[in-house]
Amino acid sequence: MDFMTLTVQAGVNGLVIGMMYMLMAVGFTLVFGIMRIVNFAHGEFYMIGSLVAFYTFAQWEVPFVLTLVLAAVCVGLIGMVVEWLVIRPLRSDELTGMIATLGISVVLQNAVLMFFGASPRAIPDVVEGSLHVGPVVFTWSRLLVIAAAAVIVGGFWLFMQKHKLGRAMRAVAQDQEAALIQGISVDRIFPLAFGISVALAAVAGALMAPVFAVSPFVGTTPMLKAFIVVILGGLGSIPGAILGGLLLGLIESYGATMLGSVVADILQLALVIGILLIRPSGLLGHREA
Amino acid sequence: MRETSMVLDKSAPSDPARRSWTPLVLVIVACGAAAFVPSLLPNLFYVHIANLTLLSGIFALSLWIIYSVGQLSLGHAAFAGLGAYISALLALRLGVPPLLSLVISGLATATSAALLGAVILRLRGVYFVLVTFLFGQIFTLVALNWSDVTNGANGLISIPPMALFGLSFASRSSFFYFAFAMFILVLLLTWALNRSMFGRAFHSIQQNIDLAESCGIDTSRFQIVAFAIGSGIAGVGGAMMAHYIRYISPDTFTFQNSVAFITMIVVGGRSLYWGALVGALFLTPLPELLRDFAGMQHILYGAVMIVVLRFLPGGLISLASLVKPNRG
Repeated sequence: MDFMTLTVQAGVNGLVIGMMYMLMAVGFTLVFGIMRIVNFAHGEFYMIGSLVAFYTFAQWEVPFVLTLVLAAVCVGLIGMVVEWLVIRPLRSDELTGMIATLGISVVLQNAVLMFFGASPRAIPDVVEGSLHVGPVVFTWSRLLVIAAAAVIVGGFWLFMQKHKLGRAMRAVAQDQEAALIQGISVDRIFPLAFGISVALAAVAGALMAPVFAVSPFVGTTPMLKAFIVVILGGLGSIPGAILGGLLLGLIESYGATMLGSVVADILQLALVIGILLIRPSGLLGHREA
Repeated sequence: MRETSMVLDKSAPSDPARRSWTPLVLVIVACGAAAFVPSLLPNLFYVHIANLTLLSGIFALSLWIIYSVGQLSLGHAAFAGLGAYISALLALRLGVPPLLSLVISGLATATSAALLGAVILRLRGVYFVLVTFLFGQIFTLVALNWSDVTNGANGLISIPPMALFGLSFASRSSFFYFAFAMFILVLLLTWALNRSMFGRAFHSIQQNIDLAESCGIDTSRFQIVAFAIGSGIAGVGGAMMAHYIRYISPDTFTFQNSVAFITMIVVGGRSLYWGALVGALFLTPLPELLRDFAGMQHILYGAVMIVVLRFLPGGLISLASLVKPNRG
């Protein structure tokens, strides 16, 4: 394989994985920005999303678009209930809220383990075949992940910029009290933000289900990666999460192709620490007050 | 509200010495009781759980020291792991006696924490936490992949057991006494540190770092000191673990463990170091107590955690003030 083919192929793989990181990190950073908690259960919602894909798409053979919608709606509703039931009463104390998300993670993961079992199960590809451009081969299923994730993040971006609720969310993230004075109901924004955040994680899970297998433990790695992306891009910054997710995916893919995956992983972390030292608030983050 | 009144209580002249000596009395009573624990427990499995609980207590207390300067470490298990690997390798490769390797690993871990602390000096609050998280990830990766030294994912096996002046602590029951002694040592150290000039500086930094700094307290120096002491103790605890289980792998000290230690502090109650203790005592045996609900035990564990946080935001130690609201 010549150099050009290798570069393009690694680029596409990096984009696929980067899109997943982006979807995870955008929701993760949204909750951090608005509620000031690190949601340790974020990966569990990814896992439930891939579970929904397993049942609806692989078992009941529902169209994939509908699968994505179902994953987003189901998990979004679960997220809102969780926020209302567990996180809301602990709102005055961020550290306690953070530890509570850990409890949620334990409960969700083991509940799924109980009725799904521990063994990973595969899901068929959404579309067969591949696209040939000269010597380079793209599988359609990979391209589909990239396109779908781009559309979803684009939609989310528009919602945050233009829609009344999205603007309200950004206002709460900037200054909760000032937002309250402007008549924004924080009690309504919190569950909504949490629901949207975990719905994005669920969509990521459903999209990646055919790429990785489905099991109760698939959420851990995406959660850790989202954490790294958010550090890289800046805590609470949505553009930072988008940029950071793509960057991390590409670095990972090119690093693994050229230097081997171990070196790439360590290099990745060293790079993030380096960025933190030079720009503590991340690439696009704002300074903490 | 409760916290403020406690601060006021502490500074009040009404016999402060009596209350602060109460822990010492309790410790002496606990020592007396501990002598009988291994013989009273129905079988060795319970002794094993007791040993793990003591080790958790050491980890939680050492993390509390870091918390007492207003920092949180998400890499606490990595420092424990660093200590474990250093001690195990010294004992396995160079034949260093376990007690000496324990001391060396504690010092080495404290030094590396101090170095890391000095490098990330300018990072405050949440960014400091993030770097400790990244440190933990790097530790796991290096432990997994530096196979020549760490033996990779297979881990290090047949680590020599703890021994002290010809006295072996290989069995579970005998290790209990060693772990208990070390636990009391760490507890007394935390207690003394808390009462010393350092403790007061730590708390002033925790409550208001800017105010502390403007009062002439070198906040970053104290934060590094607390970080180094806490991580060093974690290193010793990790080394003890290595010589007790006699097998370590990168899976022994993961991000999940770091998070578990934080959970102990929060569930126990983070305003006092007793909270860390109570959290470790409560959470470590909890999965075993729930064993009767086979399959459900982890779900219940998570649920118990959420319920405690929900109804006792001050942690389990706030139960004490519910029982006797007019103390002091």
